[in-house]
Amino acid sequence: MGRGSEPGVQPPPRNRMVVSILALLGLLVSLYMLAHALGLAAGTLMCGLGDCEKVQDSPYAWIGPAPVSGLGVVGYLALLLVALLGLHPPFQQSRAVPLILLGGSVVGVGFSAYLTYLEAFVIQAWCQWCVASAVIMVLLFLACLPEGRALRSPAGS
Amino acid sequence: MSKRDGGGDLRRFYIVFAAVALVGIGAVGYAVASRALGGAASVPVSLEGIEDPGRLMEMAVPVVDGDPNAPVTIMVFGDYLCGFCATFSLRERPRLLAEYVETGKARLVYYDFVLNPEMGSFLAARAARCAGDQGRFWEFHDHLHRTHLTWGMESGKVGIFQRYAEEMGLDVGEFRSCLNSDRHAVEVSANRELAQALGIPGTPAILVGTGQGMSRRVRDFFFDTIKEAVEPLLAVQG
Repeated sequence: MGRGSEPGVQPPPRNRMVVSILALLGLLVSLYMLAHALGLAAGTLMCGLGDCEKVQDSPYAWIGPAPVSGLGVVGYLALLLVALLGLHPPFQQSRAVPLILLGGSVVGVGFSAYLTYLEAFVIQAWCQWCVASAVIMVLLFLACLPEGRALRSPAGS
Repeated sequence: MSKRDGGGDLRRFYIVFAAVALVGIGAVGYAVASRALGGAASVPVSLEGIEDPGRLMEMAVPVVDGDPNAPVTIMVFGDYLCGFCATFSLRERPRLLAEYVETGKARLVYYDFVLNPEMGSFLAARAARCAGDQGRFWEFHDHLHRTHLTWGMESGKVGIFQRYAEEMGLDVGEFRSCLNSDRHAVEVSANRELAQALGIPGTPAILVGTGQGMSRRVRDFFFDTIKEAVEPLLAVQG
């Protein structure tokens, strides 16, 4: 229940607003990297810090036929859509929303940790965009933590 | 109260969301489309309006190997994705160097005649000149010819050339900043314009002369043919 609200009406959860903004930022970063990975962009990846080309040209930048940045686009887009839906009454009370947000952000943080490990110890080069995405994902995970309360609640609200 | 507040919160949120989305999409779109932001120049620069052949010669800076006062000049026009250019560079040029350049009889003057800019040979020409800034032009030039079947087929050529630079022990930071810019784009473009102005039909093209007056085009790129053209000039020069 919201802060002294009318019965049955709750304010939109603030954490989902934060999740939406962070997912949007992550989506933009991933889209930029995907455009370069697919050769849609002219020139090279802008890279003030680190060696983005070395990271992008490494075999770890692709998982089979899919560029890692493509997975980022799909993941952030899914989190963004779910977080936006979760702001509105029909989905505010749904248990699926906290489940997807928490589960997705846990998977995202895990995958980001793996990519960061690869950069640090295997490729031995940093890509500022990958680091930015990892930071966004950690913040997104933190913003998703309050969803745990909704999951524990018997009413699912 | 809360319904109104909730509605107000959502409105404010969507305003912020739309602003971030607009700025972000604009920035990504601009960064993707623009070479100005850290992009490597990979196609020739337009030199329209430069009608004066003298000015074109001045801009078309070649790469010179050997004594600048050598009596004979051997001009080479090449492209990094041309297979015969690789044959010339890796097989015939070493013989020319040993016979004429290292003995001070001739100097070798290399011009980029980029035939396939969109396939990466413009970028390759710039990469070789970036290596040349560190005194390693010929080494990089030969390496590009040796590996042209590899990098020619790959995407991410900037990264590949950076790796070559790293393998050669070049200062990678300096090389990268050169390659990820438009440095040498004008020289390479002017080289190409000059080749076209001279009516060079393809690559590799070899011209020999004494540096004064017209140079003569050699009919092929093999050492023996070039030797046939160079020897009479050396005889005249005494």
